[in-house]
Amino acid sequence: MAGSMADAASAAAAPRFEPDEGWVPADERRFGLDRRTLRPTLLVFALVFVMSVVLPVIDALVPYHDIVRPGDVIEVEGGVTFVPEAGWGITSGVRAGHPPLSGDYPSSATVEDGALKFRVRTGDFRGDADQLLDQIEATSDALNQGRGVHITGAPSTIVTAAGAKGATARVTGPHTAGLIAAFVLDGRGVEAVATGPTDAGPEPSAAVLRMIGSIEKAPKAPR
Amino acid sequence: MTTDFTALDRARDIALDLSGWGRRFVFYQPRNFAFWGYVALVGIGILTFLSTLAREYNAYGEAIGLAVTSFAVYAALFWWFTDRIDHYAKLPHKLMAVAFLWGGFAATGVMAANANDAILSLYSKHFGQVWSLNWGAGLAAPFTEEFAKGSGLLLLIALAQRHIRTAFDGFILGAFIGLGFQIVEDITYAMTSAGTEFGANQIGASVGTIVLRMLTGVAAHILYSAIFCAGLVYLIGRPGEPRRIGRGLVLIAIPMLLHGIWDSVAAVAGQNGVLLVSLLVGTIVIALFIVTRVYKLTVSRERDVVRTVMAPEQARQVITPGELEAMAGNRKARRAYRKAARGRRERRRARYILNAAYSLADELAAARGADTDRVRFARSEVARIRAGIPSPW
Repeated sequence: MAGSMADAASAAAAPRFEPDEGWVPADERRFGLDRRTLRPTLLVFALVFVMSVVLPVIDALVPYHDIVRPGDVIEVEGGVTFVPEAGWGITSGVRAGHPPLSGDYPSSATVEDGALKFRVRTGDFRGDADQLLDQIEATSDALNQGRGVHITGAPSTIVTAAGAKGATARVTGPHTAGLIAAFVLDGRGVEAVATGPTDAGPEPSAAVLRMIGSIEKAPKAPR
Repeated sequence: MTTDFTALDRARDIALDLSGWGRRFVFYQPRNFAFWGYVALVGIGILTFLSTLAREYNAYGEAIGLAVTSFAVYAALFWWFTDRIDHYAKLPHKLMAVAFLWGGFAATGVMAANANDAILSLYSKHFGQVWSLNWGAGLAAPFTEEFAKGSGLLLLIALAQRHIRTAFDGFILGAFIGLGFQIVEDITYAMTSAGTEFGANQIGASVGTIVLRMLTGVAAHILYSAIFCAGLVYLIGRPGEPRRIGRGLVLIAIPMLLHGIWDSVAAVAGQNGVLLVSLLVGTIVIALFIVTRVYKLTVSRERDVVRTVMAPEQARQVITPGELEAMAGNRKARRAYRKAARGRRERRRARYILNAAYSLADELAAARGADTDRVRFARSEVARIRAGIPSPW
């Protein structure tokens, strides 16, 4: 049965010739390339250009309109809040009382005024404010390898309006300088970084100090 | 009734030509513009990813080590699975690797990441931060990421015009593009999580993300891209797959819709945990149902190819009609064929015969249907196993 006619040969004893993959028919060559491959590749390049150049450029050209009004409070993850300076622009983060539908506030918020930038970030942390500042410095140094913004100078103590004690130090980077403050509020680490151009002067502005001073953590709301 | 061997052999030649099965894939094609496009974009993506990895490794080395190891094992499992479901007219492994690299390095860092950042930022500026947090991801990623991944298939088709011939080829390569994207994205997410506690407790901070991404990854990028790329092949048409614009557009839209829903479930569920879990599970179940349907839809043409390629072997009584049906059938058909044999020994032999017959099909495809030494040897292996003779090799 099966196999008894296995020796009956197929039509061809050798494979039919096929040119190798790199061969291009003479009538399909343009500039030494396979003409048929130009269109799909250019289409993909166009898509790359739109995604990587056009969209970021449009984004850079569109100004933000979310301006801080007097009385606004920004909230970040873990019930941490701060009062941004009126007139500054909110580039990330949301106002207290207006969380996303999930109910989870983002872990960071940034407000800007021209070249001045103020960013607050939170996360779980076991330790005190000095240890948090050390941890931030270690991570930042490991990431930047001596480049970028890094902590300089000896840390000192800073106290918020609510009485929370934190650690603060100066930060410097290429063409930027500023201040970092670290707090640990009920097991939640808070990092506040204010940076601006070096020609703005070495002292942190009163606005920055007010925003740092306004940082506090709301008690956990019962669910 | 006499069997027309010539007609069967001719039908086999046509099927092999149309399917591209068995052709060797050569990556280095300097006269192919798509080759240079691919090399440039994947090269930039690899450099970008490696420089990020090297920079972050100094701070988050432990978490990166864990993420890379875990996702390498995860990728190997999915690679094995995807390779396994391509057991009819198989694609070259080299082509699968090329697809994986596109998804991992060009579609992510060079394309989607830049576009996502810009679109999310524009959404925040126009609709507000809260709106952007709620709906931004669901209305950005489905467009940017699916097009970034899917565009890779256009380059792959230009690179492998003789191989990518059916919607099923698009389905398989799409799955590999999605796998690459998923793995690199997962590693990036793990790196981000490692920094959420300021770099302290980085393993604890990232392990939750790693586990979650592994669980939810089952019905994510791999599945989306497989459906999208099958749709893309229908949309543009290939020698082995007539153009079907409507079907193509539907299959392109489905993964974008699934992706959008997936990225929006947190906003839809609000603070209702039960609803969130139900929506997540529901979306996964629907996505798996759809991908199974698309698999069945696309694989039928591949099965026809196997049937046509092996029909002359059946006519020459190298294999039986039952074996031909099992080879060209689905898993159920193969199981039915094995179970029809009496006793465990015969069932095992039936399985071996089927495997040998698949090897013969691969050899026939590689020889473009010719009667080469390798084909004759593969034929003799089917006969040897059927006769129960031990292998001399």
